[in-house]
Amino acid sequence: MVQNRNKLIDLFIGNVSNSIIHEIFEKSIDDENISSRYEKELTTSFNIAKKYREKINPIDRKLPDKDIECIKTKITNKIRSELLLRISKGYENIDLDLIEELVNRRLKSLKIL
Amino acid sequence: MLNISPISTKLSECPTPTELNQRSILYEKCCKMELIAKVSKGSRMDQVYIPKHRPGLNVGSYVVVKQLEVLEKVQEKPYYYNIKYIEPIKLEIINKIFNIINKNGIVDNIIITGSFLEKGFNFNDIDIITISNNKIDSKYIENLIKTNIGIKAHLILLSNKAIIEGLATDPLYNLMLSECISKKRLIYKIKKKINYKILDLHLLKSKSLLDNFDILSGKEKYSLTRNMVSISLFIENKKINYEILNKEIRMLLDLKNVDEIKQNRINKKSFLKNYNKIYKKTFNKIMKKIKNGSKQK
Repeated sequence: MVQNRNKLIDLFIGNVSNSIIHEIFEKSIDDENISSRYEKELTTSFNIAKKYREKINPIDRKLPDKDIECIKTKITNKIRSELLLRISKGYENIDLDLIEELVNRRLKSLKIL
Repeated sequence: MLNISPISTKLSECPTPTELNQRSILYEKCCKMELIAKVSKGSRMDQVYIPKHRPGLNVGSYVVVKQLEVLEKVQEKPYYYNIKYIEPIKLEIINKIFNIINKNGIVDNIIITGSFLEKGFNFNDIDIITISNNKIDSKYIENLIKTNIGIKAHLILLSNKAIIEGLATDPLYNLMLSECISKKRLIYKIKKKINYKILDLHLLKSKSLLDNFDILSGKEKYSLTRNMVSISLFIENKKINYEILNKEIRMLLDLKNVDEIKQNRINKKSFLKNYNKIYKKTFNKIMKKIKNGSKQK
């Protein structure tokens, strides 16, 4: 069961990160065509993350502090490394300062914090 | 179709066909007469033609003209795209799905795609694309299909504009429509537009296999691999269909059969090594194009 919980947390982290990465991409561009794709992807990933959250105990209240810390760090690192990689390859207008705020907001809405 | 009979005729008695001409089928029994005929278009008034020589329906007599129950509608044949074989029972299911959707929404076309069309019965659900500019309650139709046919359906609603855009920019759309069955003929003249930022977005999904190899199922691994390799083919301007794609997956990932991925029978070390190599190569190609060409607006 513990192993299952860890798997679920990993899948949850992947999807929340993906969702936030796309939200930051979406804020960085003016092209409506691409922006709508980012928006769609962020919603899809967020909905998948929600489904994983519903399977991680405790379901209806915040997670233990050590889990919160671990999840938050993993998500933040994952997002930062993907964004930095793309900035180095030519992406522009990406605001790294948004990461912390968006991570907190997402985790609160998913009852992790 | 109209049914014409003298007012005094008992309709309950079943007539036998005795005469057939181009315009009508004549039935007679004793002195009673029924006629099935088409309404013809006239210049000033429309009319129903009846044979000159007939037993009954004399000139001057009064008749009832009423709508005949329409004969059961002939099932239209669907269009097959690169489908080499399909089990007859699946065709019946497809026809039922077409009927359910048609009765519950106005759609321009219905396309069946995905694993349901593969040989055998190893599918989880039926992927259905409906092309329509009208709003359709997809959840309601999915439930109807589940209740009536007993199979889970995954309905994707697309407008005509969205499917054209998808086919021009997204390798997965190309893959989906490379093998499919549609209610109406597919006529799309597509000019490929490679948008590298959108491809980067699609490719990012496949990265999760590197991070979550142990927790993903065989089917999920295959889906992520397929996504990555189709992007790689797309940017190389190669044709995309399941056969080409699976051949490429086998070659790039050094496998005998793609079923090894689907059944989770792959060697983790060598698979991840090859996968990572393809991912990086594809990612770098996309990034190079983003750096060289399309600056963000």
